[in-house]
Amino acid sequence: MVVALSALLAPWLSPHDPLEQDVLLRLASPTADFPLGNDSFGRDILSRILWGGRVSLYVSTVAVLVAIVVGGALGILAGYIGGLFDRIVMAAMDVLLSLPTLVMGLLVVAMLGPTVGNLILAITLTAIAPFARIARAPTLTVKERDFVEAGRALGFSNVRLMVVHILPNVVDDILVMAALWLATAIRTEASLSFIGLGVRPPTATWGGMIREGFENILDTPWLAIYPSLAILVVMFGLNMLGDGLRDTSDPRLRHE
Amino acid sequence: MSDVRQPALAVEGLTTEFRIEGRWHAAIRDVSFSVARNETLALVGESGCGKSITALSIMGLVPKANGRIAAGRVLLEGRDLTELDEAEMETVRGRAISMIFQEPMTSLNPVLSIGFQVEETLRYHTSLSNREARERALALLEHVKIPSAARRFDDYPHHFSGGMRQRVMIAMALACSPQIILADEPTTALDVTIQAQVLALLAELKAETGMAMIFITHNLGIVASIADRVAVMYAGDIIETASVEALFDHPMHPYTEALLSSIPRVDRDAGELKPIAGQVPPITAMPAGCRYADRCPLRVARCATMPPLVPLAGDRAHQVRCWVRAGDGGQTP
Amino acid sequence: MLTYIVKRLLVAVPTLLAVLTVVFFFVRIAPGDPAFIILGDQASQQAIAAVHQELGLDRPMLVQYLDFMSTVLRGDLGMSLVTHRPIWSEVANVLPYTIELTLTALVIGVVLGLPLGIAAARHRNEALDYAARVFSLLGLSFPAFVSAIMLLLAFAIELHWFPVISEARPGDPLSRVSALVLPAINLGLIMVAYVMRVARSSMLGVLGEDYIRTARSKGVPARVVIWRHALGNALIPVVTVVGLYLGVLIGNSVLTEIVFNRPGLGKLIVNSLNQRDYTMLEGLMVIYAFIIVIVNLLTDLTYGLIDPRVRQR
Repeated sequence: MVVALSALLAPWLSPHDPLEQDVLLRLASPTADFPLGNDSFGRDILSRILWGGRVSLYVSTVAVLVAIVVGGALGILAGYIGGLFDRIVMAAMDVLLSLPTLVMGLLVVAMLGPTVGNLILAITLTAIAPFARIARAPTLTVKERDFVEAGRALGFSNVRLMVVHILPNVVDDILVMAALWLATAIRTEASLSFIGLGVRPPTATWGGMIREGFENILDTPWLAIYPSLAILVVMFGLNMLGDGLRDTSDPRLRHE
Repeated sequence: MSDVRQPALAVEGLTTEFRIEGRWHAAIRDVSFSVARNETLALVGESGCGKSITALSIMGLVPKANGRIAAGRVLLEGRDLTELDEAEMETVRGRAISMIFQEPMTSLNPVLSIGFQVEETLRYHTSLSNREARERALALLEHVKIPSAARRFDDYPHHFSGGMRQRVMIAMALACSPQIILADEPTTALDVTIQAQVLALLAELKAETGMAMIFITHNLGIVASIADRVAVMYAGDIIETASVEALFDHPMHPYTEALLSSIPRVDRDAGELKPIAGQVPPITAMPAGCRYADRCPLRVARCATMPPLVPLAGDRAHQVRCWVRAGDGGQTP
Repeated sequence: MLTYIVKRLLVAVPTLLAVLTVVFFFVRIAPGDPAFIILGDQASQQAIAAVHQELGLDRPMLVQYLDFMSTVLRGDLGMSLVTHRPIWSEVANVLPYTIELTLTALVIGVVLGLPLGIAAARHRNEALDYAARVFSLLGLSFPAFVSAIMLLLAFAIELHWFPVISEARPGDPLSRVSALVLPAINLGLIMVAYVMRVARSSMLGVLGEDYIRTARSKGVPARVVIWRHALGNALIPVVTVVGLYLGVLIGNSVLTEIVFNRPGLGKLIVNSLNQRDYTMLEGLMVIYAFIIVIVNLLTDLTYGLIDPRVRQR
């Protein structure tokens, strides 16, 4: 939460312009004015971390939201309609799943070019299949339950049935997944930026900052360490959130 | 039944508690009974009355994370099982006392062959060689009438029907000829015809081996056909114990009466079939006095204190825990 | 069991064909003419046409597709645009390094993760369990390149226990081992976190099952109850996660190889990206698809080995 807030408020919180360069302050040690020091272009590291979080969170959140909507809709439709449509959709999802997340992201961005839109697309593609699967399973069971049968007998439209009866039943599972996948998305985004396929410099991203820091790791390891810590805190927080959500949404609690 | 014989198993003042939201609550309280060789004692009561907890307490299988035996003794031929540590208890379980569980569908390990599961009991309690253990296990499976047991020895539980699985469970329980067998609703999950077969098998095996049996059930029909004596439990207490004949002919406790009139019987009008009004009090809010008082038509002021389990004047083996009924000597049913 | 294996193989074949089809179309649909990528924006029409012809891009889509499928299935991945050597030989050069790395990580993950997960489940809500859960959450939170950098900083740069640039000198097995240690620990520890987590949760589930109580009621010693009766059943979700994690592992090995400057598929893919080696990328995608399909097949076969109920299907 704190991280999300600080990312949102980055424009007001950060003491300096993340792009502002000051040659005199190249690789300077922390001072009161620049609490985490400066990087190789003399830019303020704290400000860059705050702004970098903005990019990472923006890309990841949008990607996961799109994946939830597309994947969730595909999963519910596949489960509800069944038959050939179900088979085709799930086969397509299996194919999507068969390429490792990062490799897939790499290829999409490499082929299409490293823009924010393409990054979102790449991450979305990797996350659709799991959401489709998790939305389909409960749909299959809910579909068979009496109240849906009853609704159908009363002549409610399919759309209405799906929205009113099935959607609430899959929301819990999707929320838990969303927290965990947001973490995965941030990791993918950071990894891509680290490889050099993220949002183009000079825009600050965590992965990109770590990459720059890593190039000088022998002399100035802190350039890589601060953004690494930022990623760790966010990931840890999201994983805890996912765990917590699961514990509250699953009273049986025999699960993970 | 003569009472001079030393009982095979005696339970004295057994109290088992569970921790719920940080506080310990008794699931069974001051439970005492005994069972002799060649005798079948039925423990009867509604689900949740503590029958199964009693059995698990005897076996030392109460989950340690949130349960404990708070008081009492479980005497197996004079030895107190509650004093034993886990390793010693492992040598008792399966050898001296065995248990048959309610759910044949889930009580067998799905990834191990049934032959192996029967053999395993022998492996830890006897010095038989692997081959001898296998032969004995096969003989046991044949004994419990598994058709073509030799061919099915290496099959897995999912190949078997519920009735067949329960036979496998019985073979496992009998493997080391235990003195006591605890049968926890062994037929509840089975079809009626299979139920009768399994009951007949149990009765036959008991007659053959002379072991004692504690048969847990909520089904009074089964009690009449299999048991020698009955102990009725309500909300963690034994409220009445008697021979089968005495209990069915002269039920003393109002709860026993109500139980008997809540089952359909051929010799009565359907109009007499009465469900018991009200609910069993929850374990976290047990009244201090008689636990049946809230639902009892005979309630008097004295019921606010717990009545003791006392023998009737006319039949010392017939005991009842009721202020109203214990006093009149068992003359009025 | 034999029929089960044959069935799984028969299912794997269409999956592989579908994945290859997707690879083919994905590469074709991607905007940007490979000729431009190779020659730059200023290329002449003739040069572009020549490249098209060299790559076979001037032929109809269907012909290209059939040609692609038949050559790939014959094991021919074509030539690299940059080095002009067969892609298969480029891959074969580095594949052993990646396999060595991922297998070591896998072994570390299972050998440490499984007993830890089981111990955590047996001592639920005790100190060990809390420590294990915090560790696994941490492990899940580390992007592979972040943990790699930290390991590198701590053990290579500060402590000098291992070389900063892990280079295996030919003919020197020791250097190969020391080059493997940090990268394998990096991938392995993350995997320990995954395996431990799922082993703990599935063990907790299994320990509450009726058949565990049955085994205890037979007087089976606690140790045997855990390792024979519970583990056999608890292993099934663990296998699933290991199978799924192999996909993550392949992705993470890319990052690990970059940080430790280690040869492998990961470095090959990044180099081809930088050099716009279009045919190489296509070939690598095919390789990855093959690997994943094989991993899935192995996962399915392992299920069959563990669970007699699966064998029947």
